[in-house]
Amino acid sequence: MDTVIDQLPKSVDAAAALPACVNGLPNFEFPSIDTPSAFLRAFTDDASNPDVPIKPQHGTTTLAFKFQGGIIVAVDSRASAGSWIASQKVKKVLEINPFMLGTMAGGAADCQFWERWLGSQCRLYELRNKKRISVSAASKILANVTYHYKGSGLSMGTMVCGYSEKNNTLEPEIYYVDSDGSRVAGQLFSVGSGQTFAYGVLDQGYDYNLSVEDALTLGKRAIIAATHRDAYSGNSCNLYHLKPTGWVYHGNYDAAAEIWRLKEAEGSFNDIRTK
Amino acid sequence: MSNPSEINGGSAVAMIGKDCVAIACDLRLGLQSVTVSGDFEKIFQYGGNFVAFTGLATDVQTVSTELRQKHALYEMVEERSMEPNTAAHLVSSMLYSRRFAPWFVGPLVAGINSTTGEPYVCSFDSIGSMDVSHDFVVTGTATNQLYGMAESLYEKDMSPEQLFETISQTLLCAADRDAITGSGGLVYVIEKNGKVTKKLLKSRQD
Amino acid sequence: MADRYSFSLTTFSPNGKLIQIEYALQAVNAGVTSVGIKAQNGVVLATEKKVMSQLVDGDSLTKISQITPDVGMVYSGMGPDFRVLVDKARKNAHSNYKMIYQEYPPTRVVVQDIARTVQEATQAGGVRPYGVSLLVAGYDDNHKFGLYQIDPSGSYYPWKATAIGKGSSSAKTFLEKRWNEELELEDAIHITLLTLKESIEGEMTGDNVEICVVGLPNDDMLGFEGVPNVQGPRFRTLSSQEIQDRLDSL
Repeated sequence: MDTVIDQLPKSVDAAAALPACVNGLPNFEFPSIDTPSAFLRAFTDDASNPDVPIKPQHGTTTLAFKFQGGIIVAVDSRASAGSWIASQKVKKVLEINPFMLGTMAGGAADCQFWERWLGSQCRLYELRNKKRISVSAASKILANVTYHYKGSGLSMGTMVCGYSEKNNTLEPEIYYVDSDGSRVAGQLFSVGSGQTFAYGVLDQGYDYNLSVEDALTLGKRAIIAATHRDAYSGNSCNLYHLKPTGWVYHGNYDAAAEIWRLKEAEGSFNDIRTK
Repeated sequence: MSNPSEINGGSAVAMIGKDCVAIACDLRLGLQSVTVSGDFEKIFQYGGNFVAFTGLATDVQTVSTELRQKHALYEMVEERSMEPNTAAHLVSSMLYSRRFAPWFVGPLVAGINSTTGEPYVCSFDSIGSMDVSHDFVVTGTATNQLYGMAESLYEKDMSPEQLFETISQTLLCAADRDAITGSGGLVYVIEKNGKVTKKLLKSRQD
Repeated sequence: MADRYSFSLTTFSPNGKLIQIEYALQAVNAGVTSVGIKAQNGVVLATEKKVMSQLVDGDSLTKISQITPDVGMVYSGMGPDFRVLVDKARKNAHSNYKMIYQEYPPTRVVVQDIARTVQEATQAGGVRPYGVSLLVAGYDDNHKFGLYQIDPSGSYYPWKATAIGKGSSSAKTFLEKRWNEELELEDAIHITLLTLKESIEGEMTGDNVEICVVGLPNDDMLGFEGVPNVQGPRFRTLSSQEIQDRLDSL
């Protein structure tokens, strides 16, 4: 088998904290029983058993879309385990390198680990090949991993966004990759428990010819809408703009403040009781 | 989430002050993760008694209405107002009558006894176990968070104004750590002289 | 055809009366006189204890019954019917009230419950009306001391003082002259004895008169001590010695 994973260098296991690599992948130990994934699921799947001892963090709204000025990436910042709000300031945009961003939805640990791992794979590619990896290739590395572990309980829904060199020009690309092993290219995605609410705003306001300012506003507005309606999304919105020259961070916006501001400015959010 | 008590979300808290009591609830009504309404009041007034119901929304509506009937009948038959401790025992009886098919509610009772002037707060489990408290009681999906806040903010013999601040901060901060509690709050402050103040808390809408 | 009407049912007579109830009232008016007086600080219930034979053990015979710690009642009419009503009233006070509110029903609620039971017997098939009139005395925090009369029809009346049974009309005439707003419980007991004296044939002793009072809480009757905020029952039966002492000072 000559997959991408097979070609990866086998020397990444130097750090003692990481499991040793086998075939370029960190070698995780599985419970030595017939159905290790079922065993793990019994301990971690809070959908089928609310009393599980291990509760991975769930609940998110993330989005990314291409437009004439590049790519907008916007996410919320809430981490929840069941109804418990575990954190209000999670960074759900993973800065893989100056030209590539990954978004994080699903299991926080899975996303953080594999996107950081993806970052190092991309860097190694750069060193080996003296050129930046394409978004297509990077996302394929990630999708190969998720497919490899399919059924073992990984939980991630991510968008790998960036600029790739194609026909000597830089082209913006977005790939949706999830823990089922799916990998889909597209120009507009939203992922997470609040995705439907974000899609509502995006579909209503999206246009490829949007100005950079309007595109940023739209991305942020969609996230804010999702934080309002989705219990598991909230606190704040992190906004990024990907340009051919690298990504630009456009700041962190408190969701509560934004909702009150928008209510005043747009005359929207009229379901909120004020007296 | 298949637990009926956690489908719709919501929390409430009640506190005793000097010659006053306060009771507060959030306003969210959700269907699992989706916030359906931010105007779902969970506190109901029965004469001088204030009862908060958290839990399954359909049961909140049914039990609060049934209690309205029982309270009205009591006041007609007995030609007197119902005292908070009597209201609490009535709630307890109603819940225990459903011992083997419970209402999925977590009620709180707050009020001031009209003859003794004693403030009264009391909480229940879903089948009517009573917990009469001399300081505060909490219920709902943010129970843990409310206990944490109340344990640290509560002081004895607070004035109505101090009590309002304390109960508001308790509810608001607890709601900030529960995904299915929030979307605004309601606070009632009940004073010995019969004065009742109802205030809306504008809170985070995420 | 005849067996279709062979069950008992109280029905109106052509002139609009319920004869069965009138018969029941006649049974009451043939019964032993009972008196009730409400005073400022209590209520007294009294009746004559008729002992039909010297061989009867009079001490074990009581005609005034406690319903709740603060409510008691006496009757004129048929003793067995009274005991049925006492049973029902006690059970009602617990099952339909104390088990719900964790407190005893106020006097009027007890009275209404009994009156409902009595009324149901005037409208149901297969039963006859109760052959008793009742005097119910009680105390509750809201309405304080209360004295009520219940008749076989199911009607009930609040009284300051009244009497039922054989000598009731002369007793009431007497009470009208003696009752006033300033009455203390001891005065009321005194008047009760004077009232009964009118109707009792032969000598009045501590053994042939029964008196109960609803007055101050009797913490000594609790059976335990040291628990704060608990009150003893207000209903108390006077011993024959206590009655004799009062008769001696008449």
